[in-house]
Amino acid sequence: MILLTVLSLPFMTRKPIDLPPIVSVELIQISDQTNIPFAPKARKIIEEVKKEEERIVSEQAPPSAKAKEKPDRIPLPNDKEEKKQIVKKKQNPEEIKPQIRQSSEFEKKEIVDTNQIAALIDKAKEIEAVKEKNDKKLTQSNVKDSFATGLSLSEEDALRAQIFGCWSVPLGLPYDENLLVRIKLQLKKDGTVLKSEIIEHEKMNRPGQKFYKILAESALRAVRLCQPLKVPPTGYEKWKNIQLNFDPTEMLRG
Amino acid sequence: MKFNTNLKNIVLVLVTTLVLSACSTAKKSGGSLSGDVYTGKETVKFLASGVPDRVFFATNKTSLTTASRETLRKQATFLRKNKNLNVTIEGHADERGTREYNLALGERRANAARDYLMTYGISGKRISVISYGKEKPVNPASSPLAWSQNRRSVTVKVN
Amino acid sequence: MKKYFIITILFLFKFETSYSLIEIDITRGNLDPLPIAVSPLHVDPKSEKNNETEIKELGSNISEIIEKNFRGTGLFNPIKKDAFVQRPDIAHLKPRFEDWRLIKAQALVTGKLLLVNGKLKVEFRLWDLTASKEMIALAFTTTPSNWRRVAHIISDKIYERLTGENGYFDTRIIYVAETGPKNQRVKRLAIMDQDGAKTKYLTLGNELVLTPRFNPANQLVTYLSYFRNLPRVYLLDIETGVQEVVGNFPGMTFAPRFSPDGKKIIMSFAKDGNSDIFTMDLETRVVEKITGHSSIDTSPSFSPDGKFICFNSDRSGLQQIYVMKSDGTGVKRITFGKGLYGTPVWSPRGDLIAFTKVHKGRFFIGVMRPDGTGERLLTENFYQEAPSWSPNGRVLVFYRETKSGPKGEGFSAKLWSIDITGYNERKISTETDASDPSWSSLLSK
Repeated sequence: MILLTVLSLPFMTRKPIDLPPIVSVELIQISDQTNIPFAPKARKIIEEVKKEEERIVSEQAPPSAKAKEKPDRIPLPNDKEEKKQIVKKKQNPEEIKPQIRQSSEFEKKEIVDTNQIAALIDKAKEIEAVKEKNDKKLTQSNVKDSFATGLSLSEEDALRAQIFGCWSVPLGLPYDENLLVRIKLQLKKDGTVLKSEIIEHEKMNRPGQKFYKILAESALRAVRLCQPLKVPPTGYEKWKNIQLNFDPTEMLRG
Repeated sequence: MKFNTNLKNIVLVLVTTLVLSACSTAKKSGGSLSGDVYTGKETVKFLASGVPDRVFFATNKTSLTTASRETLRKQATFLRKNKNLNVTIEGHADERGTREYNLALGERRANAARDYLMTYGISGKRISVISYGKEKPVNPASSPLAWSQNRRSVTVKVN
Repeated sequence: MKKYFIITILFLFKFETSYSLIEIDITRGNLDPLPIAVSPLHVDPKSEKNNETEIKELGSNISEIIEKNFRGTGLFNPIKKDAFVQRPDIAHLKPRFEDWRLIKAQALVTGKLLLVNGKLKVEFRLWDLTASKEMIALAFTTTPSNWRRVAHIISDKIYERLTGENGYFDTRIIYVAETGPKNQRVKRLAIMDQDGAKTKYLTLGNELVLTPRFNPANQLVTYLSYFRNLPRVYLLDIETGVQEVVGNFPGMTFAPRFSPDGKKIIMSFAKDGNSDIFTMDLETRVVEKITGHSSIDTSPSFSPDGKFICFNSDRSGLQQIYVMKSDGTGVKRITFGKGLYGTPVWSPRGDLIAFTKVHKGRFFIGVMRPDGTGERLLTENFYQEAPSWSPNGRVLVFYRETKSGPKGEGFSAKLWSIDITGYNERKISTETDASDPSWSSLLSK
């Protein structure tokens, strides 16, 4: 028995699988304002970033792997010492990221050819509409920064679909157009929930609002069951705070 | 143009007439149904020789047919001859309806027979009425024939 | 210094260009029943012995009733016991949430019971396994013979905690038990727990009895009896067995129901071929005439606030459903679809009216809003009618009859239930054939 184990040990170490680089189709938001405050620096960093970007999009591995990578990418000499102490979950390095973020988007714009732009224009209208809706509900609104809001449509769809699968709608809820539970989530990079907060938390224990409580509980159950959430592999700053609006009216209309 | 419209109308009228006339004389199994009303003799009992004890009705209807009135005339004659005889008229319905409405329907059918007897001078005090709705079918089968036999008002001697 | 200066600038920048909160609308989910593990209740070894009830089995018997109740709703999926990971006594004190989650349960029910001094004490806890915490904990004391009701009450409490709705498990159903050949049926009033247990017969079967209905306090029953060959509406006290005729009407009274406050009986009175709706106050004995049309007006049912009455009338030619104010004014027809409509009954929630519809020779059970809109047919059959509401307005019980052969063979009548969603159609097992069911309100308030 022991002999067999010893003999088989070498076979147990697996080699990492080399995936060919997959180019993900990321739909870009084309906003009215081309707000590129970092444009001058961008060109300098583009060369280094290009290679890193490709690697990131090709690996579909869990986001945690990338978190370790990022600190190395940052070429600013000032933060080298801090980087060494970086724990995956620390926010500090992220402050630098906006720079890279902007440049990579800028860079993507360059590689898009005119054919693709035509296809994108239709989508842009859709995205504009979605963005407008989000804009209206913005709690931390920052109109200047429209360039940096939101997940891409496919990322949002993936996350939404995932939660659809986890959410068991309590059938006993009455059809009430105002029945809506909004939950703010603080996420970790791996898609697990760090903190959850029910907006209008006072409603939970108010008499006569028992359906609100039931709906909120079902929403929390859904979120817990769905961990880790399908978060994008990059752009942690964009999506680390998410608000999920659970609205059962469509299901209850019956 | 006008000629064409007229032609169309004539054809339409002809077709409709044919169809309607075909429907109105539809006969069902055994020839013992006229429209929807039972005209056979199988379940009929007699108060006396030549005096049938019951009349039948169409689905959801409480009106008397010509045949029903004929039967009731005979019953009236019989009752006039036997002045000391009192009767109860039982109203029934088929099983193809809701229970409570069928109770009301049975009561109305029984009263339809009673009212007719009264027009022949029989005192209302001699005729009591009871409805059994669909509770006492004479034919337990689930067929249009059975149902027609169950839609009835039956005159029963009390004394 | 320069380092810190840059960091500060960048730090400020971060807040300036902070990302706005992403909002995602979750508008769809699944309708899967919630997987729930019901652990057998732990029987305290200090419990006394009891002649009537086998105490050792009581823990599992109670959990089995709870499971059966849940399974019947179609909203919960009780997990098979062989998968259970902890013993009942330990699970009740400190459940290992991760272990229970492994068997895919999202909620857990544990409990314990103790029989001492002739009293049965039962305690239960409901655990949220995804949140790893207790959701509700309650204890009851009762006589040992009432153990089934304890199981039903626990089921109601858990149902309410998880759905927000009142439960309907601690209830009874009264119905007409039928035996004998189709044209010589013997009918008796019978009452049972909603799960089919503890059937009791209330009349002997010597006279025809039909359409029994509970009053809201569950103490009295009103029904139609052909006692002495005179069809009249009667009252029956379930506890004492005393029967009395309602009013002194010179003709058939039928189709009785109680008003929501239990103080009046509403029914039809038939005379000279015309059926009208009347009420009688049970205390003052005052009789009021509500409808006066020459048509058949029957099957009246009060709205839960007592302000309106829905009823069946053929004043437009065929059976349709009408709504009027409780004083008889403002009569409005609400059914305009193809076919006949009958047996209207107002939901205890006030939001729906259930009915029977007959169209092209088929019978349907359906619901609609009190203004007649939103008609939904839930089930179709050769013959079925007379829906009655569960006290939470989510389930309907009704009866079905089968087609019979030329000599009446193959005939049977059974009780069925269905959710207002149209799902979860189930036959209710009764000792004999059964018809005319009526659902009580919750026995404990």
